Amino acid sequence: MNFFELVAQLAQGLVSTVVVTLVCSGTGMAVGLTVAGLRRMGYARVVPFLDGFTYIFRGVPVLVLLFLVYFGLPSVGIKVGPLLAMALSLGLIAGAYLAEVFRGALDSVEASEILAAEAMGMSRFQILTSIEFPQMLRLAVPGMINEFTSILKYSPFAYTVGIAEITKQAMTLTATTLRGIEIYLAVGVLYFLIYRILLAGVHYLEKRYQVPGLGTT
Amino acid sequence: MALIRIRNLVKQFGNHTVLDGVNLDLQKGEMKVVMGPSGCGKSTLLRCINRLVEPTSGTILVRDQDIMGAEVDVRALRQSIGFVFQQFALYRHLTVLGNVMLGLRKLRGMSRAEAEAQALFQLNHLEMADHRDKYPSQISGGQKQRVAIARALAMDPAVVVFDEPTSALDPVMVREVADLFNRLNREGVTLLCVTHDLALASQIANRVLFLDQGVIRADDTLENLAKHHPNDQVRAFFGEKEGRS
Amino acid sequence: MNGWSGFQRDLVEQMPLILAGLRQTLQLTVIISVTGFLFGLVVFYFSNSPYRWVRSLIQGYISFFIGTPLIVLLFLMYYGLPQWGLKLSPFLVAVIGFTMNVAAYNAAYLTTARNGLDPTEIESARAQGFGRGQIFRWITLPQVLRLSVPALTNQCIGNLKDSSVAFLIQYTEFFARIQELAATNFQFFKAYLLAAGVYLGLVSILVLMARQVEKWTRLPGLGR
Ligand SMILES: Nc1ncnc2c1ncn2[C@@H]1O[C@H](COP(=O)(O)OP(=O)(O)O)[C@@H](O)[C@H]1O
Ligand SMILES: [Mg+2]
Repeated sequence: MNFFELVAQLAQGLVSTVVVTLVCSGTGMAVGLTVAGLRRMGYARVVPFLDGFTYIFRGVPVLVLLFLVYFGLPSVGIKVGPLLAMALSLGLIAGAYLAEVFRGALDSVEASEILAAEAMGMSRFQILTSIEFPQMLRLAVPGMINEFTSILKYSPFAYTVGIAEITKQAMTLTATTLRGIEIYLAVGVLYFLIYRILLAGVHYLEKRYQVPGLGTT
Repeated sequence: MALIRIRNLVKQFGNHTVLDGVNLDLQKGEMKVVMGPSGCGKSTLLRCINRLVEPTSGTILVRDQDIMGAEVDVRALRQSIGFVFQQFALYRHLTVLGNVMLGLRKLRGMSRAEAEAQALFQLNHLEMADHRDKYPSQISGGQKQRVAIARALAMDPAVVVFDEPTSALDPVMVREVADLFNRLNREGVTLLCVTHDLALASQIANRVLFLDQGVIRADDTLENLAKHHPNDQVRAFFGEKEGRS
Repeated sequence: MNGWSGFQRDLVEQMPLILAGLRQTLQLTVIISVTGFLFGLVVFYFSNSPYRWVRSLIQGYISFFIGTPLIVLLFLMYYGLPQWGLKLSPFLVAVIGFTMNVAAYNAAYLTTARNGLDPTEIESARAQGFGRGQIFRWITLPQVLRLSVPALTNQCIGNLKDSSVAFLIQYTEFFARIQELAATNFQFFKAYLLAAGVYLGLVSILVLMARQVEKWTRLPGLGR
C-alpha cells in the first residue's frame, strides 16, 4: 500500500467527518443565534437561563458531554444516536461559544439604526432579523471561523461513539498495516486540507456578502 | 382638524422634568419649526409623538386619535409618521435602494418588484436614483439625508418629522436643505422640524415656536423674537445667532 | 433498584483512584500551560524574524497546528512512533502533543496583539539605539503579554478541559478514572454527570483566578 492508497482509504471517512462538522456547525449556529437573539430581545426572565446555558456548556469538556449524552442518557432511559449525540454535545457547546461571539458583535450594531427601525414601526423581532442579525453576522466572521475550526478539530471524537470518520479509518488501518506514522501524517494533512477549504469557503461567503464600511476583511 | 394636537405634554426622566406642559398644533400641509437651545427637550418632544419615548402625562392626538390609549397600535402609529434622524441612521448593511425598500417589504408586505418601483420613484424624486446601489459609507452626509427622506416618504406618512436636519451637515448645505424642505412642503408634505439652526429656520418658516424650560415660550416671527420679545434670553437666542449667519 | 447506594459505595471505594486521577489532570494542565506558554513565546519571537523563510516556517507551523486536531498528533506519537521502535509513555505523548498545539495558539494570540501595537513606539525605540532583542524584551513583550492576558488565561481553561482527551491514549487522568467507576456499576449517567460537575467547578475556579490575573496586569491606557 503506497501513500496515495492510504489517503484514498482514509478519504472514505471524509464524508462522515464533513457531515459531523456540518451538523455540529449547523446546530451551533441555530443555538447561538437563538441564545444571542433571546438575550437581545430583552426578556429579563430568560436571561438567567441563557447565562446558565452558556456557563455550563462552556465549562464542560466536549468529550465528557459526549459521553454523558451517548453513554449516560440510555441509562436513564433516553436513547440517542451517534450523530444526534455529537450535535447535542459538540453542537451545543459550539452554540454556547457562538452565542458569546454574537453577543459581542451585536454590541457593535449602531443604536441609532435600531432606533430608526423602531421609529419606522418595525417589531422587535423584525428589527432583530432584518437589521441586527445581518449586520452582526458580518461583524462576527472572525469569531465564527474560530468556532467552525474548533468544531472540525473536535469532530474526531465522533469515532468514540462509532462514527466511521477519518480518525476511525486511520485507527483501523494502523491496526492492520502497522504503519501509523504515514497514516497519521496523512490524516493530519487531510484535516489541514479540510480546514483550508472551510476557510476558503467562509472567506468566499464573506466577500460575497461584504458591505463597504461594515466589518473586517 | 389638526393633524397633530399636543396638550399639556409632560415628560420627566426620573425627577428631571424635560417637558412641562407643551401645547402644539400641526395642520395638514403645514411646515412647522420648533427651536430651542440644546438640551431643552426638542428630541424628546418628537419622540413622544411616535412613542419612542413614553410621555409622563398630557394628551397627544394624531388625526384626532389619542395615541396614549391602551388600544393604540403603536407600530401602525409609527408607520404613519416619517422620522428623519439627526445622523440619518441609514442601515449600514443595505444599499441606498435597500434602505428605502425595507419598510415597504417588511411593513407593507409589498412584493420585491412593487417595493423596488416605489422606492425608485422616491429616490428619483430626491435625485438619488443614480446612487441606488451604493452603501451608506459611500455617500456624503447630504446624500444620506436625501435617502433618509426618501425612506420616510416611501411609507406615505401623514407627516415627516426632522430632528436637527442640518446639524450633521456642512454649514454651506443649509440653503440646499431649506430649498428641499420648501419644495416638499409645496408638494403637500406636512413637516415638523426641530432645530437650533437659525439660518435654516429663517429660510423655511416665518413663524417659529420657541421651546425653553419645558414649555413653548413663544410663537412668533423671527424678527419679533429677535427684536421685541420681552425676555432678554429669548432675544439673545434669536438675535445673536442671526447676526452670525 | 440499588442505584444511588451502589453508586455511592463504589464512589467511596474508588475515591483514592479518582483523586489520583484528578491530581494527574491538574498536573498535566499546569505542565502544558507552562510549556505551551514558553514554547509559544519562542514561536512568537521567531514570527517576527528578519528572515523571510523563518517567518514563513512559523506561519506554517501556527496554521498547521491550528488546522489539525490535537488528537491526530497524539495518535501519531502514541500509535505511530512505535513503528520506529520509539515507545513514549502516554504522559510524555500528552505533554509533547499539547505543548506544540497550545504553543501555536498562544503564538497566534500574541501575534494578533502585536499587530495592534503602535508602530511608532518601535521606531522610537530603534531611534534611541535599542537592538532587536532589546526591543522585543523591553517594549514589545511587556505590552503584548498584557494585551493577551484574557486570551492566554482562556487557553489555560481550554487546556484543563482538553486534558480529558489524554484518556484516549490511556493516560490515567480524572476522566479515565471516571470511566472505570462507570464500568464497575454501569451508572454511566451519574458517573459522567459527576465528571461534568467536577470540570465545571474547576473551570469556575480558573475563571476566578484569570480575573485576578487580568486585574493585576492591567495598565492604565493600554488595551481593553
Ligand atoms: N432617555 C433619557 N433618560 C434621561 N434623560 C434624558 C433621556 N433623554 C433625554 N434626556 C434629558 O432630557 C433633556 C432633553 O434632551 P433632548 O430632548 O435630547 O434635548 P434636545 O434635543 O433639545 O437637545 C436633556 O437634559 C437630556 O439629558
Ligand atoms: Mg436633540
